Amino acid sequence: MNKTLLIYGAGAIGRGYIPWVFRPDKYDYYYVEINDNLSKLLNKNKKITTFKTVSYNKYESMEVPVKYCYHLDEEIGRISKVDAIITAVGPRNILSIIENFKNTSVPVICCENDSSIPELITSLTNNPNVVFAIPDVIASNTAPPELREKDPLSIITEDGVCYIDSKVANLGGNCVYVDKNELRRQWIAKLYLHNTPHCIAAYLGSLLYVRYLHESMQNKECEKIVIGAIYEMKSVLLKKFHLDKDFIDWYASKELQRFRNTLLYDPIIRVAREPFRKLSLNGRLIGAAQLSISCGIIPENIIIGIMAAFCYDNLNDPDANIKYLMKSLEPPDFLNVAMRLRPGEALYELMLDRWDSNLNKLRRLKQ
Amino acid sequence: MNKEQVLEIAISAAVAAGNFLLKHSNDFIKESSKESLRDIVTEVDKYAEKKIIEILKNNSSSSILTEESGRIPGKNRKSYWIVDALDGTVNYVNHVPLYAISIAFIEDGFPNVGVVYNPVSNDLYYGAEGIGIYKNHAKIKVRDRKPEECLFAVAFSGKKYEPTTRGKEFLMFEKVNDSTRGCLRTGSAAMNLSYLSEGRLGGCWGKANKTWDVAAGLLLAKLSGAIVEYRYVDKEKNLVSYIATVPSAWSFIKEKIKLW
Repeated sequence: MNKTLLIYGAGAIGRGYIPWVFRPDKYDYYYVEINDNLSKLLNKNKKITTFKTVSYNKYESMEVPVKYCYHLDEEIGRISKVDAIITAVGPRNILSIIENFKNTSVPVICCENDSSIPELITSLTNNPNVVFAIPDVIASNTAPPELREKDPLSIITEDGVCYIDSKVANLGGNCVYVDKNELRRQWIAKLYLHNTPHCIAAYLGSLLYVRYLHESMQNKECEKIVIGAIYEMKSVLLKKFHLDKDFIDWYASKELQRFRNTLLYDPIIRVAREPFRKLSLNGRLIGAAQLSISCGIIPENIIIGIMAAFCYDNLNDPDANIKYLMKSLEPPDFLNVAMRLRPGEALYELMLDRWDSNLNKLRRLKQ
Repeated sequence: MNKEQVLEIAISAAVAAGNFLLKHSNDFIKESSKESLRDIVTEVDKYAEKKIIEILKNNSSSSILTEESGRIPGKNRKSYWIVDALDGTVNYVNHVPLYAISIAFIEDGFPNVGVVYNPVSNDLYYGAEGIGIYKNHAKIKVRDRKPEECLFAVAFSGKKYEPTTRGKEFLMFEKVNDSTRGCLRTGSAAMNLSYLSEGRLGGCWGKANKTWDVAAGLLLAKLSGAIVEYRYVDKEKNLVSYIATVPSAWSFIKEKIKLW
């Protein structure tokens, strides 16, 4: 008999990648989705097609039958009967779904880009079986037109690895169950060797007005900055976390190949979304730069990436106000009021010192 | 000028004035009373206002109405700025870190862009119709709660009142203070309305406050989801009374607070 999965979020990870981890011949798929249109389409089509890149010019496809997609507001009677709940809704949306996990001890696997989420869910729901998972993969939330013509719900993902806390190893699947130490190592690597350069590539790409991440990497200057940022983070990981050099080198080169993957169609607006979240004091940009400084490494390329995030201009983004603040505030005020960096702090001073020259560099990119 | 540009100008002016106020907050400040002991003006107020006027004039042709300089005519008469360079002057001169710069842009008689900036806490509240409302980088909204769970604030008028009129105000204050989490008198109407907008307060009201103290804040409160009602009580003197609360506290406050 198949096991049953209830997946919160039918986006890039939930719809595109998870079916490769838990194959639909052994697992039944139920989704919970907030987007009305997507939820209706899933219930109408009762299937999705996910494409996995298997080489630099080839996809492997898989049809995933969808038993049912609940709308987020709908009552989910079967929640205690499923074998596992998987969340892939984004850290900002977790609190809106947490109510549903109370009074159940069903394993909850959090595929969120924030390692503190499982602890938060456990403390708010008393469910002891909430674990962290790291889908080490880039999954796009869309697909090129020719694939969407065949199935409007088509989505593309890489052929990645999913690391899951071994506490829920009974669930099986095509993933790697690891102990907490290995999960931590993978998370640190993902946080700084993937998340940081990934969003830097996206913000640089947005300045070039390109749509996909690989197009950003095709610009030599952008590529140079991204490689520079990776190099800075590699040094931090060696110095601060004492991670194995071979592991770091392997991870970094894997990431660069990913960003260049021309089959992935990873949209810039997806990766660059919510710049203020990425610029939070402990986040993947400012946090990474602070960490770097604390190790005695001046993060020149990460600072350029941060500057590119400051210049992000997308009126449809939830953080579109970054544009108003950037335009109306003087550089010291922007860093202080919008970023909450304090005058005298090393990063504040470094950013201010390089403000004009970095802006000029970014302007030259556009040319 | 579109709303985005208006907002950018207002933010820029508010923060510039805020920096100035903060820089001089420990200087010896000469103060003088206006209509009552609590209605004071300082040289710093005037300089901060001058700074704001300079920025607004350089970037827009609209008229400007300010606390200290009165009405400054501009080419554009359909719209105007309302400016209070320092709302909470008594707090400022006593080093109580609760004061703000308040700038609103009025079009067709209604505020449609508002900025309130507290330079001490570095809290920048800003919003515009069609754009939304933010504090620093984050979107904000009111936190709707039952009145018994809310903290409220009041801004009495700085004008000299008859003891009987003042007595009535204290009576209203007492009614709210004793039937809720409490009622504050913060000394800054602009901050009261901003705190309501971000969910700190459940509501606030003010009797015969100056328009420049509250124009931006009233818009921010409205944009954040509060119920807002205001009336001019003396248009000549730019005096306005208002109530603004989270939706669940509205009828409760309306029943207790009689402003008109």
